[in-house]
Amino acid sequence: MYLSGEFRDRAAVTRALRELQANGFAPDALDVYSDEPLELPHDVLARPSRMSFMAVSGAVLLGLLTIGFVYYTQYNYPLITGGMPLFSFWATGVVFYELTMLGAILTTFGWFLFESGILLRKGRAPVPAMASGAIYIRVRCGENQKAAAGETLTAAGAEGVTELGERA
Amino acid sequence: MATVSEPVLVREVRDDLWRPLKGASASYTVVLSVLAAVTLWGLIAWGYQLRSGIGVAGIRRPVFWGFYLVNFVFWIGISHAGTLISAILRLTDAGWRKPVTRAAEAITVFALMIGGMFPIIHLGRAWIFYWLFPYPNERLLWPNFRSPLLWDLTAISTYLTGSTIYLFLPLIPDVAELGRHATGWRRRVYRALSLGWTGSDREWHALERAMKLMAGIILAVAVSVHTVVAWDFSMAVAPMWHSTIFGPYFVVGAIFSGIAALLVAMAVIRKTLHLERYLTAHHFNNLAKLLLLMSLLWLYFTVAENLTAWYGNETREMQVFGSRIRGNFAPYFWAMVTCNFVVPFVLLGIRKLRTIRTAVIASITVLIGMWLERFIIIVPTLSFGRLPATWGHYAPTWVEISITVATFTTMALLYLIFAKLFPIIAVWEFETEPAPEVTRSVS
Repeated sequence: MYLSGEFRDRAAVTRALRELQANGFAPDALDVYSDEPLELPHDVLARPSRMSFMAVSGAVLLGLLTIGFVYYTQYNYPLITGGMPLFSFWATGVVFYELTMLGAILTTFGWFLFESGILLRKGRAPVPAMASGAIYIRVRCGENQKAAAGETLTAAGAEGVTELGERA
Repeated sequence: MATVSEPVLVREVRDDLWRPLKGASASYTVVLSVLAAVTLWGLIAWGYQLRSGIGVAGIRRPVFWGFYLVNFVFWIGISHAGTLISAILRLTDAGWRKPVTRAAEAITVFALMIGGMFPIIHLGRAWIFYWLFPYPNERLLWPNFRSPLLWDLTAISTYLTGSTIYLFLPLIPDVAELGRHATGWRRRVYRALSLGWTGSDREWHALERAMKLMAGIILAVAVSVHTVVAWDFSMAVAPMWHSTIFGPYFVVGAIFSGIAALLVAMAVIRKTLHLERYLTAHHFNNLAKLLLLMSLLWLYFTVAENLTAWYGNETREMQVFGSRIRGNFAPYFWAMVTCNFVVPFVLLGIRKLRTIRTAVIASITVLIGMWLERFIIIVPTLSFGRLPATWGHYAPTWVEISITVATFTTMALLYLIFAKLFPIIAVWEFETEPAPEVTRSVS
């Protein structure tokens, strides 16, 4: 089940998140909803990301595939080069560079979609009904943790705590 | 450009920035219709060329590259407005960038779409445009992976893909919010484009990381794209083209014309969408100073390029150089210098003269000057080949002129439609200003 606490104050949100984690709620069970990006202290709700690594991997992969494709094509459909090598690395360098960058771009976008969970449809957890300017903390908890979570949210300064359904 | 701060409530920001999306005034409809009519005329001209053949254009031996390639280089240059400026300002965390970035990013995407059309128009037989793609075949004609044409294709495709994603990413929170409030077909469109955005911290984190990464990547791509366009020329051993500084020279010119286009676009949307409190004198002042700096850099490269050619005194280069400085092309050359240096230097260099109006005037002259620069680079070199027997003359026909004019109206048309569908200033970025207020500047 899910509980949602509504806040108007950023400091209260930080306080609530710290308290919830101190009470045994894993960062994975907590989500913060707002209509603008929230800058929370680094020790609160850290979300490790592999986006940079994936971007570099995507770049290297597409770059190498490009070189391989050009090499393969040049040798299978050889142009008349007047005795010069069939495959010219430097003349292919620009194509290689651009497609390496394309690999980074596409992987970054793809990883953004994956990491944000934006495209998840099936089994999506319920989302609090957002009021303008409000910040919400959603807590995933068991029936036995419900009271503790609700109390923590209220004690930290939540203006209201509501129970959300199982699924959106 | 003195500014006075006046608090504006944050809730007003959304109302103000969403207001232009509602309805369409009579004047908007009239302007849109006129632009659409001119664009249609350009399409008819292109249709005539497709039906009759490339001979209806003025390009013929020895000047194979005329208005179409001038427009290609010009629009690719304009495309540097957005993404490059936005990416630099985003990476350096320049706070004043917020009302400017989306307007700039939209210019990039539309200018690339227009610029990318010109190689296809220039082909004549546009239906075989896919020959540009590197696909294997047995005829041994294509692909030629060593051709700079393939460099252009990959560079522009990458830049267009990257710029579109870079424009789209920060649009997601705004369209999600719009989707919650809009009705009818707009609601469906906004909801589809928002991809199910809910505003969770995971989404915000991922968005900010993606934007930072994309800003870095797009910077590297933007520089490479115009360098590759420059290499189209400098890889040819032709007089006044075979130059090692063409890459940076073109990149500087591209940023220069891009800033000018951005200033003009900002002035238009400020006036027509009544966004005076968001696009303030402060923004115009900063961009005007940047334009002035680029004007000086452009002058430095132009002098370096021409002085070395003149001092080298190589016969064939001097022929082209002479035609530019005192021959047939001299009026265009000196008009270019006036537009790109004299006017911006006077209007923007003298502090008392630097206002929104003069910044826009200087920007318009820079756009004219930069178009002339592309013309001056391309046509004289082709007119005066290495053998005097191959010398020739170029005069554009009504087809080329119509298509050229239509590209400008297409740009304006796309921009107006975009500004009617999406907030031209990122609402959520404005809301994250440190204080719950924005400042209104009064000139």
